[in-house]
Amino acid sequence: MYSKEIERILEKKKIRVGDKIRVLKGKEVYEGILMPRIEMGDTSCLVVKLSNGYNVGVKFEKNVKIEKIGRGLKVFKEKKKEAKKVIFDKNLPTISILGTGGTIASRIDYRTGGVYASFSPEDIALQIPELKEIANIKAEEIMSVMSEDMTPERWRLIARKVAKDANAGYRGIIVTHGTDTMHYTAAALSFMLKDLACPVALVGSQRSSDRGSSDAAMNVACAANFVANSDVAEVCIVMHGSMSDDYCLAIRGTKARKMHTSRRDAFKPINDEPIAKIYRDRKIEILNENYRKRSGKKVKVDDKLETKVALIKVYPGLDPEIFDFYLGKGYKGLVLEATGLGHAPTLGRFSLLPKIEKAVEAGVPVVVTSQCLYGRTHPTVYHNLRELLKRGVIFGEDMLPEVAYIKLMYVLGKTRNLEKIRELMLTNMCGEISERTI
Amino acid sequence: MEKVSLKAGLEIHFQLDVKKKLFCNCSAAMTQKNPLLVVERKLRPVPSELGEVDVAAQFEFLRDRTFLYQVFKDEVCGVELDEEPPHPVNQEALLVALQVALLFNCSVPEEIHVMRKTVIDGSNTTGFQRTMIVGKDGYLNYKGVKIPITYVSLEEDAAAKVEEKEGKVVYRLNRLGVPLVEVDTGIIEGFSPKEIEEIAYTIGLVVRSTRKIKRAIGAIRQDVNVSVPGGARVEIKGVQSLGLISRTIELEVERQLNLLKRKEKVEPETRCAKPDGTTEFMRPLPGENRMYPETDIPPILTKELLKIASKTLPESIDKKLERFRKAYKLSEELISGLLKSDFFFTFEDFVKKLKLEPKLVANVLANLLKDLRRRGLEVEEGKVFEVLKALEEKRITKESVAEILAYLAKNPEKSVEDAVKDLNLQLLPEEEIERIVKDVIESGTKNFDFVVKATMSRVRGKADVQAVMKIIKRLIGGNEN
Repeated sequence: MYSKEIERILEKKKIRVGDKIRVLKGKEVYEGILMPRIEMGDTSCLVVKLSNGYNVGVKFEKNVKIEKIGRGLKVFKEKKKEAKKVIFDKNLPTISILGTGGTIASRIDYRTGGVYASFSPEDIALQIPELKEIANIKAEEIMSVMSEDMTPERWRLIARKVAKDANAGYRGIIVTHGTDTMHYTAAALSFMLKDLACPVALVGSQRSSDRGSSDAAMNVACAANFVANSDVAEVCIVMHGSMSDDYCLAIRGTKARKMHTSRRDAFKPINDEPIAKIYRDRKIEILNENYRKRSGKKVKVDDKLETKVALIKVYPGLDPEIFDFYLGKGYKGLVLEATGLGHAPTLGRFSLLPKIEKAVEAGVPVVVTSQCLYGRTHPTVYHNLRELLKRGVIFGEDMLPEVAYIKLMYVLGKTRNLEKIRELMLTNMCGEISERTI
Repeated sequence: MEKVSLKAGLEIHFQLDVKKKLFCNCSAAMTQKNPLLVVERKLRPVPSELGEVDVAAQFEFLRDRTFLYQVFKDEVCGVELDEEPPHPVNQEALLVALQVALLFNCSVPEEIHVMRKTVIDGSNTTGFQRTMIVGKDGYLNYKGVKIPITYVSLEEDAAAKVEEKEGKVVYRLNRLGVPLVEVDTGIIEGFSPKEIEEIAYTIGLVVRSTRKIKRAIGAIRQDVNVSVPGGARVEIKGVQSLGLISRTIELEVERQLNLLKRKEKVEPETRCAKPDGTTEFMRPLPGENRMYPETDIPPILTKELLKIASKTLPESIDKKLERFRKAYKLSEELISGLLKSDFFFTFEDFVKKLKLEPKLVANVLANLLKDLRRRGLEVEEGKVFEVLKALEEKRITKESVAEILAYLAKNPEKSVEDAVKDLNLQLLPEEEIERIVKDVIESGTKNFDFVVKATMSRVRGKADVQAVMKIIKRLIGGNEN
């Protein structure tokens, strides 16, 4: 938005964004298209797109004259979001693509500089031409949120949409998703989709789809190959496997983590081997045979979650009173992202022991995971750990903290019995606990 | 060549000699030779407003092309690899660009917007080049005419192509992101090809006056637009040296006129310059630039930066010339020689650091080095200074300077001391000179000039002429002239 003064003058002169204007400032002349004001920079600068395509910002001051010299450009409108199909070839399988936000297809209007997100199957097919050799597609945008704005409620909606399409006979399901919390959604879907019988791939991109170097298209093409042609009936994250555009990895939804802020290969399997290496053509290389196979079962959605669960990071100087806050607010479960093998402070006023005892006594389960991520927790190596164990905490084996957090929500949706909770938390349900780690 | 009303335009790119790259903290030195690793990428069709056909065409073009990007230690990071968003614009580079804009009397926008210019030949890992206008509508005075300088922009250099075979294009990423200043002229009319070359030269001189321009081969790259009446605008990319501009223009004018004579159409196109001044077809003239904003970098406010840029603005070329004439009493010939050399701006640094006659320094820089260059010999600036320093300290003689410079050009790893030793140019002790003088005198003459000449030819750069004359004076009693 421009400053109030500029908005007022533009309105008076009936100038709209997209109009051709001339700005006179002393001897200086700027002629071009008036661009929308981006939020950064000086809002009292008019942004003008010159005839050579460059934008410049001209400060609006008293001596500046603006005149309109041409009419506005037609601006692209975003298309309606409804489920649509594109059939390339009757003999190809048909897959479902569900959008949750972000773009996998986009158009740029070079005249105005705007980038327009699109989720129509036509645009997706246009921009990922490989798809027509892999599968027919149905595309539907089910929500439009940034990944950091994902919530347990939204996981439930995604789970229901996936189950609906899986039971409707689509060969596999792709869910496009922002990358930041993709591994949380992947874990949540893993627990909620009971008897999943076909592949589900979560896909995102680390480089937006308006640039030639975007990883979006290759990730979607690989995911399409994976859900159409593999027999892996699990929820996986399918993203770049290296910095090169050579292959993608399918990583189990309960063992994946975003380990880099910006690289294409940000997602890594932790305490697990990637399930498959996937290429853009029809090639798939299975790397880890330990997965559930396709079946003719109907998937059931088991989406009852107790959302009053907190994930607490343990660090030197942590104030034990944080437990009082959560317990006071009626939280039903706590996951500690502890240090090393699963340690927490036990000395003096920083000791967490009294608080943990208080929680367990109140019937609130405390699950211990490790902020090392790699490796397994162990309750009896050190004295402090034994103290924690004695007080009733559940050591979460090699589960990732985020996964334990989601699993505890899921388990608390079923039972409040501490012994039952312990048993379920330590039962491997969908690959979240491995028997062996190195 | 017949006289035609020729229209031309120049686009000159200058690599900036700054420490870091434009959008990251990598070194801009480009000195590494062995790649640490190679990353393999594809480029995707770029979405556009032109619809399906265009995307399909791009897809077909890109489908069989794989780009291999070489990564070098200290000179490539996640930013060049398109694995990390760009950092804020390098302020050192931005200041130089603003100075260039001011030197060409451009107006500078209050807010600079970084743009993405779509490029799909793989030379940018992102699929676009980041570029920004820092000045517009300036001019350059040439022979009393204002030559329009339409734009001054600051941009990232592209990756350099190493080789291309069987659909694999190899690029070296250490050039990607090196700051470039581009100066574009408007249409230049009413000047001969030779004059247009001089205009290009003058533009270069003004830009180089910032003293922040790289000197290596390929550091300055020029494109020329040429058209004749009835012809069409032809863009000639990559004219390799300034001295080739007039020849390239002449040949293009001739080519267009010949086509017209044969009643053929001159196609607007992009042609590639070859080292002999001829050109070859590269591609049809590209359409309008496809640009959209670089949203990862906020607009840059120029007010405060401009204050710093103006405060440190280099002296204008005209003022400098005036001063050189007055302070150093250089002849017009020497001045024009210096102007044409690479050492116009170095000259004064040298004079200030050395207790040598300015004329002598100018002569070495303007004439001796030019002769060497004609023989294909280049000496780096630091070495030239060392040679002059040795001359100042009377470790070598004026007469041996040319020989030592030539030797250092051929053996860049050697020092001045090595050159003196290898060329056997150690100064002779006085007794030795005396012995030679006596020998000359004994051979029959006492004519002063003759003795000086004969002695000098025998000591061959191993004694200073002043020292020799002093000894002769002592032995035969002064100059008889």
